[in-house]
Amino acid sequence: MKSALKTEHFTATQNACKLCAPLGAALVFKGIAKSIPLLHGSQGCSTYIRRYMISHFKEPLDIACSNFGEDTAIFGGGANIKLALDNIRHQYAPDLIGVATTCLSETIGDDVPMFIRAYQEDNRHEGLPALVHVATPSYQGTHMQGFHGAVRALVSTLAEPGESPEPPRVNLFPGMVSPADLRQLKTITASFGLVPVLVPDYSDTLNGPLWTEYQRIPAGGTPVAAVRQTGAAAASIECGLVLAGAGETAGTWLEKQCEVPLHRLGLPIGIRQTDRFFDCLAAISGRPVPDKFAAQRGRLLDALVDGHKHLNGVRAAIFGEEDLVAGLAGYCGELGIVPVLCATGGGEGRFATTVKNVVPEACHERMQVLEDVDFVTIEKILETMDVDLLIGHSKGYTMSRRLNKPLVRVGFPVHDRVDGSRLLHLGYRGAQQLFDRIANTLIEAKQESNVVGYTYY
Amino acid sequence: MRKVAIYGKGGIGKSTTTQNTVAGLAEMGKKVMVVGCDPKADSTRLLLGGLAQRTVLDTLREEGEDVELEDVRKEGYSGTMCTESGGPEPGVGCAGRGIITSINLLEQLGAYADSEDLDYVFYDVLGDVVCGGFAMPIREGKAQEIYIVVSGEMMAMYAANNICKGIVKFAEAGGVRLGGLICNSRKVDNEMEMIQALADKLGTQMIHFVPRDNMVQRAEINRKTVIEFESAHSQADEYRALAKKIDANEMRVIPTPLAIEELEKLLIDYGIAA
Repeated sequence: MKSALKTEHFTATQNACKLCAPLGAALVFKGIAKSIPLLHGSQGCSTYIRRYMISHFKEPLDIACSNFGEDTAIFGGGANIKLALDNIRHQYAPDLIGVATTCLSETIGDDVPMFIRAYQEDNRHEGLPALVHVATPSYQGTHMQGFHGAVRALVSTLAEPGESPEPPRVNLFPGMVSPADLRQLKTITASFGLVPVLVPDYSDTLNGPLWTEYQRIPAGGTPVAAVRQTGAAAASIECGLVLAGAGETAGTWLEKQCEVPLHRLGLPIGIRQTDRFFDCLAAISGRPVPDKFAAQRGRLLDALVDGHKHLNGVRAAIFGEEDLVAGLAGYCGELGIVPVLCATGGGEGRFATTVKNVVPEACHERMQVLEDVDFVTIEKILETMDVDLLIGHSKGYTMSRRLNKPLVRVGFPVHDRVDGSRLLHLGYRGAQQLFDRIANTLIEAKQESNVVGYTYY
Repeated sequence: MRKVAIYGKGGIGKSTTTQNTVAGLAEMGKKVMVVGCDPKADSTRLLLGGLAQRTVLDTLREEGEDVELEDVRKEGYSGTMCTESGGPEPGVGCAGRGIITSINLLEQLGAYADSEDLDYVFYDVLGDVVCGGFAMPIREGKAQEIYIVVSGEMMAMYAANNICKGIVKFAEAGGVRLGGLICNSRKVDNEMEMIQALADKLGTQMIHFVPRDNMVQRAEINRKTVIEFESAHSQADEYRALAKKIDANEMRVIPTPLAIEELEKLLIDYGIAA
């Protein structure tokens, strides 16, 4: 769906509601143990992505670069990528180098798979790290396509078919969620007696402890050996309702090539989607949902009833990447909040149907769902709308300030707060945290705008 | 200084025609620089007596940014100044970006400076305008007049018409104009009438009809222009005539490209079918 505001005379994107494809890919490669992302392109690309991710995760973060110059653009990047791979091997001794392309190397048409094959052939006696390539031209797609593309590239390059061991191994493709979310997914899965393999898992590499000495590759991440074993698993779970409509993903590849059964679910945000996630784990493991989660769910429902008066009928605008917005829109529906605007910079074409499927029909008439839009468009629409609350990432702050509407920060990037890594969106606990933050934000806005102000009565 | 660019379908004889015409202008006492804009780097072979030129981009690659004009420019037949842009090996990198870089570098090095006292600069550009790089000579006023080499063969005329579309685009922004069509004969029936008619439809002129003669090939094998190799031959006079016509040409137009049906009708009316 194209925005109605993008007319014949206005086609440019201003202040995009999306990020560039190699950013998503680099984040995935940070979630593999002893791995280094390498961007095949000019230095600015890796610097921008490093700066952006550091501002969110507040961790040091190395991303290598094949350092294109004017002459590289003309003569091709073959020599540069060889030198970059040599340098990385000698300086980092990684287990894996994830090579993502950039707009420049894609535009000149560098044949990166051929470069990598030639490099492996030339160095076949050297015990090379795993080399994984993903094409990430940013003029097409978003950071989410880079993210899912890298996950698929990891699996399709490394996975080997086999039998799942005991206790059963489960592949989890969680999507682009926070380190706190990743930790929680692992805990939940393990509590069913299953062995989770997350691709990616940056819960330690991008949310680690204090160091006394700089570590070039932070500890943590899914080991390369575990990625190879994704072909020998009892099941794969892929999170994301929009992703579930994608043709070729890591999950579908494993299902086709290694006969690993695939469960395509939404991100476990809110009650229904989290229930589905737990039901799925119960079915795979043959075990009931552990009591402590039933207790979490019970407390959540109680809180929802207690705070209902603050949330019911509230109008929210949600923006960000497609699957997160779809998940939050569904949860808003459960809370009694009307998601009057759901907007994304992505353009997969499945967003509107997905959102409408998870939001109660009674809300549809008051709801606008916009795909492939930028912040200028979103803000213009919000100026004409009655909304109480914005839910989205930090790039919406300027809009929130101008419109004088409170912003509940979720997803990525959250670079104007300190808790980007620790924000919890998933599971009953994530739903609890979101509910608390939304309700408190609304109460605070009411207190601030009331001439009398109110306190306990 | 007049800035001229020669375009046309691949293999039509752009480089041969350019160099022979440049030889004719040099004979008239004009100071001419040729800038080869083809990664094959064969635009100055006949003026230099062989593929003796180091290209701008090879020099840039081997010696870095510290390039002198003398490294990339050689003097050829009768005082002509010869440069080749060069480019990456086939299938690699971006040849179009190479042309942009190399023309910028020539400008920085002062190849076009007033002190060079040039009467003409000729850009010899490969095939069609396939990307922005190959349009570089007609952008930003780098070339002011274009001559399109064409023959009576359908694809050559199709390419010429297509190049005219490119000129229209840049004419509005940069001021480039079409100077005329040069018919490099392939001995197609009714060739002269057909190209004349094409020129009329495009709103331009057929500035010269260069007949086909094996002397051109003989001179090429000997790495020379016809004017240098067989100065008294009638084919040498054809190139002299073309040089004189270009020197005297004042017709500069924004062409009116044909719809494809119109172009095909032209072929039916004048071509083999007629």
